[in-house]
Amino acid sequence: MRMRVVRAVARTTFREFWRSPEAVFWTYGFPILMAVVLGFSFRPGPLPKVPVAVVDGPQAAAMVAALGHDDRLQVERLDAAAADRALARGRVAVLVRAEQPAVLRADPTRPDAELARLLVERTLRDAAQGPPPPLAVEAETRPGARYIDFLIPGLIGLNLLGAGMWGVGFQLVQMRTHHLLRRLAVTPMRRSEFVAGYLAGRLALVLPEALAITLFGTLLWDVPFRGGFLPWTCLVLVGSFAFAGLGCLLAARVRTIEAVAGLMNAAQLPMWVLGGTFFANERLEGVMHWAAEVMPLTHLNRALRDVMLEPGTLLDVAWPLAALAAFAAACFGLALRFFRWQ
Amino acid sequence: MSGTAGPAIELRELRKTYRKKGEVVTAVDGLDLVVARGEVFGLLGPNGAGKTTTVEICEGLTEPDSGLARVLGREWRRGVDDEIRARIGVCLQETKFHEKATVRETLALFAAFFDRGRRVDEVLDLVSLREKASARQASLSGGQRQRLAVATALLGAPELLFLDEPTTGLDPQSRRQLWEVVRSVRAGDGTVLLTTHYMDEAQQLCDRVAIVDQGRVIALDTPRALIRSLGGEHCVEIDVDDFAGRVGRDDLRRLPGVVGVELSSTRAVLVLPHVESSLPGAVEALLRARGLVDHRFAVRPASLEDVFLHHTGRQLAEQEKP
Ligand SMILES: Nc1ncnc2c1ncn2[C@@H]1O[C@H](COP(=O)(O)OP(=O)(O)OP(=O)(O)O)[C@@H](O)[C@H]1O
Ligand SMILES: [Mg+2]
Repeated sequence: MRMRVVRAVARTTFREFWRSPEAVFWTYGFPILMAVVLGFSFRPGPLPKVPVAVVDGPQAAAMVAALGHDDRLQVERLDAAAADRALARGRVAVLVRAEQPAVLRADPTRPDAELARLLVERTLRDAAQGPPPPLAVEAETRPGARYIDFLIPGLIGLNLLGAGMWGVGFQLVQMRTHHLLRRLAVTPMRRSEFVAGYLAGRLALVLPEALAITLFGTLLWDVPFRGGFLPWTCLVLVGSFAFAGLGCLLAARVRTIEAVAGLMNAAQLPMWVLGGTFFANERLEGVMHWAAEVMPLTHLNRALRDVMLEPGTLLDVAWPLAALAAFAAACFGLALRFFRWQ
Repeated sequence: MSGTAGPAIELRELRKTYRKKGEVVTAVDGLDLVVARGEVFGLLGPNGAGKTTTVEICEGLTEPDSGLARVLGREWRRGVDDEIRARIGVCLQETKFHEKATVRETLALFAAFFDRGRRVDEVLDLVSLREKASARQASLSGGQRQRLAVATALLGAPELLFLDEPTTGLDPQSRRQLWEVVRSVRAGDGTVLLTTHYMDEAQQLCDRVAIVDQGRVIALDTPRALIRSLGGEHCVEIDVDDFAGRVGRDDLRRLPGVVGVELSSTRAVLVLPHVESSLPGAVEALLRARGLVDHRFAVRPASLEDVFLHHTGRQLAEQEKP
């Protein structure tokens, strides 16, 4: 492999990206913007009230009064149909039917359902024994346990996913549709030189970008960085390679921009939802559980949280690192095997 | 370096078919061709004749179904690929280079691929793009893009240059500039294989021309010899609204001095060694006798177009009415 050639390909690739302001924005500006917006919307403050619906009926008024003793509950009286709809849409965490005995319904996959159930149970018990004892509520505001702390490592993961997939795959397909790949293929440029230079050019910005998100979190919201910088760097790089590999693989044979966009969306969307960026995916069950567990983003996010929110070392993240590296190798292997130059 | 003796390109019984949705298209159909070193060789033929397919087989981009393709004494296979690629220069029929890159940057990228070759500035001068060196690809005109594509092919100082329709869509001045580039390559002992739709280009630029139709070579020689094979170097065109079968080939053949005739519904082309002064009158008399009152009569030198017409009965440029 001739470094001169690698450098030349890398330079050209990087330039092509850097000179497209839209691409730069969507890959690098957008995640930061999202961190800012989400960070401000989940700022520590008083614990939000838990919404509860009481279904209309003969004893509904008494039930509303009993639940009203706990001011952490936000009680709403609805008819049966409206209550069902509110529960389905997630507007209330549980609904209560005042029968003998009382019936409580909740969607168990909603994270706030469990809390709502406990609150309702206790409030009803207390209400039955006479005047309820005053309860003190303490909101968790310590750094490392807030949603923003959870979110920032996840956003790094998500950003690497986007940079790897869109950045790598999209331009490859464009070069193919423009006949540029076949033009390159008839030069003495070796394939390994092309791949190395191309990735170097595309991934040159991932470390600065991950650093930028981390700095934003630290400076604005005191998001901790408790582990080592080395394991963090390794995770960012290996994670990028894993997603770049996936991007290459998806773009290996596709002939049109539209097709690769569709493929990438199909691959990315599940990871956006289940990859553990916006909410914990540990308690998923069944198919969702397995889907989440095979996603590279899941493991990258967990490992990033290990080295940011906890004092994780290189050893602590050795497994996810190895798994991501193996995934990257498999993707690149397959991609080169099936790659279409024209 | 191996394979410096022998022809630059040798194609034997070359075949290539494409299958698309059950339909079989034979792009190259048993094509034979030998291009000597140091010559400018032209492939002339209508759309879909198989020119690009043939050239891309030579470039190692397309694999033939059968037959032999030897380039600079070597056959394409793993291991020798990069050696051949280092010695050829390629300008594909259409390539869009990196849009955000300037002319100079694009050339610098391609220059890096070659261990030895020309400097970027030298190539910029060769294709007269120096004043556009810092312009980005997206801001170039079609002709400038085409010259850039040719420039990338020249960077490796190739022994063999492939130009697939290098001048299509160019203005006459840009075309002539590219012709100069081709001539300078030949002056430096390089071989050029080019494809074109333009007879004048093939006639003026090429040492030898192969006329390709439906995947085969139907005539091959120097432009002069090809034209001379018609039997005369002058052509007379007679255009009417519609012959409607009222004038036959034999009628025209009997006109003074005529050695060859091509006839379509609206046009007759007569080939003659000399244009006799009695010809216009004879034509007029013949047409009038058959009830054709209005016609256009024009004399011009014979061209490769007539050679193509002679061999295929069709016109090279698709201007023929059904
Ligand atoms: N990749 C392909 N798949 C299917 N058919 C193809 C492919 N490439 C070429 N062909 C067909 O093969 C035939 C020859 O094509 P080719 O491009 O070699 O012609 P050409 O002489 O270069 O024409 P033009 O003057 O238009 O460039 C055409 O009928 C074309 O449709
Ligand atoms: Mg062609």
